[in-house]
Amino acid sequence: MKTLIQKSLRVREVPVFLGLVIVVLITGTANPAFFTLSGFQDITLGVAVVATLAVAQTLVIVMKHIDLSVGSTIGFSAFLIGDASSKGHGFWYCMALALALGLAVGAANGFMVAYLKLPSLVVTLATLYIVRGLFNEIAGGTTITEDMVPGPINFMGLNTFFGVPYLFIVAIVLMLIVGFVMKRIRSARDLYAIGSNLAAAELVGIPVARRVFLAFLATGAVSGLAGAVLLARFNTAAANSGNGLELSVVAACVVGGVAIAGGIGTVYGAVIGAILLQAITMALGALGVPQFWQLTVNGILLIAAISLDRYLSTRVKPTSIMGTN
Amino acid sequence: MAPTQKPVLEMINAAKAFGGVQALKGAELTLYAGEIHALLGENGAGKSTLLKALAGVHKIDSGTITLNGQAFEQGSTRASREQGIAVIYQEPSLFPDLTLAENVFVGRQLQKGKTVDWAGMEKEAKKLFEQLGVNLDPTIRARGLSIADQQIVEIAKALSIQATVIVMDEPTAALSSKEVDRLFKVARNLEAQNCAVVFVSHRLDEVFALCSRITVMRDGATVGTALTKDMTEAKVIKLMVGREISELYPKLEAKIGEVVLKVENLNLAGQFADINFEVRAGEIVGLAGLVGSGRSEVVRAIFGVDKYDKGTVTLNGKKLRAGNPSAHMVAGMALVPEDRRQQGLFMSSSIDKNSAVTMLKRLSKLFIIRQKDENKLATSWGKTLQLKYATGKDPVDRLSGGNQQKVVLAKWLATEPKLLIVDEPTRGIDVGTKSEVHRLLSQKAQEGMAIVMVSSELPEVMGMADRILVMREGRMVGEFDRNKATAEKIIAVATGASTK
Repeated sequence: MKTLIQKSLRVREVPVFLGLVIVVLITGTANPAFFTLSGFQDITLGVAVVATLAVAQTLVIVMKHIDLSVGSTIGFSAFLIGDASSKGHGFWYCMALALALGLAVGAANGFMVAYLKLPSLVVTLATLYIVRGLFNEIAGGTTITEDMVPGPINFMGLNTFFGVPYLFIVAIVLMLIVGFVMKRIRSARDLYAIGSNLAAAELVGIPVARRVFLAFLATGAVSGLAGAVLLARFNTAAANSGNGLELSVVAACVVGGVAIAGGIGTVYGAVIGAILLQAITMALGALGVPQFWQLTVNGILLIAAISLDRYLSTRVKPTSIMGTN
Repeated sequence: MAPTQKPVLEMINAAKAFGGVQALKGAELTLYAGEIHALLGENGAGKSTLLKALAGVHKIDSGTITLNGQAFEQGSTRASREQGIAVIYQEPSLFPDLTLAENVFVGRQLQKGKTVDWAGMEKEAKKLFEQLGVNLDPTIRARGLSIADQQIVEIAKALSIQATVIVMDEPTAALSSKEVDRLFKVARNLEAQNCAVVFVSHRLDEVFALCSRITVMRDGATVGTALTKDMTEAKVIKLMVGREISELYPKLEAKIGEVVLKVENLNLAGQFADINFEVRAGEIVGLAGLVGSGRSEVVRAIFGVDKYDKGTVTLNGKKLRAGNPSAHMVAGMALVPEDRRQQGLFMSSSIDKNSAVTMLKRLSKLFIIRQKDENKLATSWGKTLQLKYATGKDPVDRLSGGNQQKVVLAKWLATEPKLLIVDEPTRGIDVGTKSEVHRLLSQKAQEGMAIVMVSSELPEVMGMADRILVMREGRMVGEFDRNKATAEKIIAVATGASTK
């Protein structure tokens, strides 16, 4: 029993999950409306976009990189889907367009980071601006309205499956797939190795540049496709869609235990982190706390998360001369 | 190792140049299955380059390498491993966030079908650890593992790829004696399993205890290979330096002058207490004692890096304030720290910049530093110290350990200090460079510099110092004059053993 507790405490996702449970319990006790089906749907629907992007972001953060461009990519993609649909193109054509945009941005990021060895923070900040600029140029003052949204997307945004919003299901399925891949597929394990010790990764012959490129490509692709989730969620898109999302996404990952220093963290943690931040936003509303406190609380959570990380990593006890145990 | 036995690995007449520096020329190495083979040489003799050629990091310019009778495919670390060569570096390169099991199999994780087989990896890793006689839990992460245990994981990795050649680059440098014993057992175990083990070390006693054959390199070339039983330490040293070191401790007569440094009642709670001593011009004072006895802490406090609770430090009659090293430098004090990689050098900056960094104020004209001046200063010191390098623009981390130490010395000697404090000045550097460093210190003392030398090497302290102070548990517990000091007396005082 003792070892079971110890083992579960070694799992990084446990403290975040406990935090989530505590937030829900406290809020639910203070305001029973929080415990209702609609309360649950509010949170799960609200978190779908950030959770989806956080899953994709985990791929790059474990490599000790970052992709800030996702906020522009997802917004532009949402707009393109609506725009193409309004011009009479079918659903799959629209999705192909979204994927193409995501792949293009991901390939550009990946090429500059992996092969030109430019720092990802700066590269993706630049592409965040560039994509947003192109988006503004193309969108102009146009706003996508509900009648321009492709039917399947509109349906997914408004409906639930046995009470669970479809968009949340999309995020969870994506999480399960990526989570499985990152645990069980060799080439994805390389991402952890790269983030944990880059020099050693090169020494053992991991094709570092190719892995970094492909991870950025995958993150871009998911961000592009996630345009559909953003469009479904709000049934509208305009030149400012997705603004600032990238930072919420990074925050969700960090709170969920995906270390910004690389090498550690899972998509499960990232999604739990996203849900925790969303739940707190909702909880503050349910408890009647003014909305502007939400950001402050998020900030405090971020600091708490990295402090916990720091504490846990300095507390690792060195092994004895003759091994552990 | 019968002469009829075929070698596992044969390197013939290998050459390799980096820019203008010829790192290898005429390097040879022959390894047989089931032997532990020592590779010796001074810093900069080409050992590291040779090892890196085997590891697939470098490609040799000319010469041949044959592995198991076939041409060895060079220039790829992956290819090297696949051909059965595993290199364990001085600083192991594990992945701190991955489990030990995954560390063993990283890049080629065991699979069941198309997915990673975690249970299988853990079982295999456990088996390998047991085979090495070590009890390590394969499910823990590598972060926080001691260097000794990290090496075991690296060796397990080598076994898992069925390496026929296992190279260990100075594996014992950071180990305690207990850990060294365990490593020796593991090495003999590998020998018994018919591996060829290459063992690089500066400690000759270890080499003679462990290895069956010895290859010595000098200036990039192999200068001798022989069975250990046909060698002696003196012969090996002669091969390494190419000359007999007649004067290992070239102590020069110096005129002892005025008091330069006066330390009175220095105290720092929990670190040291009641430290009193003087150093005169031309005098070398050795600070002996066990590791952890507080020697480094005292010299750091004297140099003003760390604060102290009580007491005074006086240099040339001027009292210095604690916690302000730059004021101490201006007053004429210099400290060459123990850990040169972390505290002594800017590893990726050029040799010129490193040598001149303490002199920037004097070199700058109207706040602008002229590279020409920087270069001139560095070149003159490079000559004095017989530094081996291609150009002053090269980053310091390209130099060998001994040469790095010389750059640190150059940097501080350039300030022409009245008092020079050196902390472990020759740790980890070879005999030849060592004696050059000693000659330099002795010469500076003769010119009237006062020197405080912290050293854990008794022969060094006894050979170089005019006076020896001994510390134990943060206190000065003994003082010996040069002609009265014996190793037995110093050790007795340093360890607190009862003296006669």
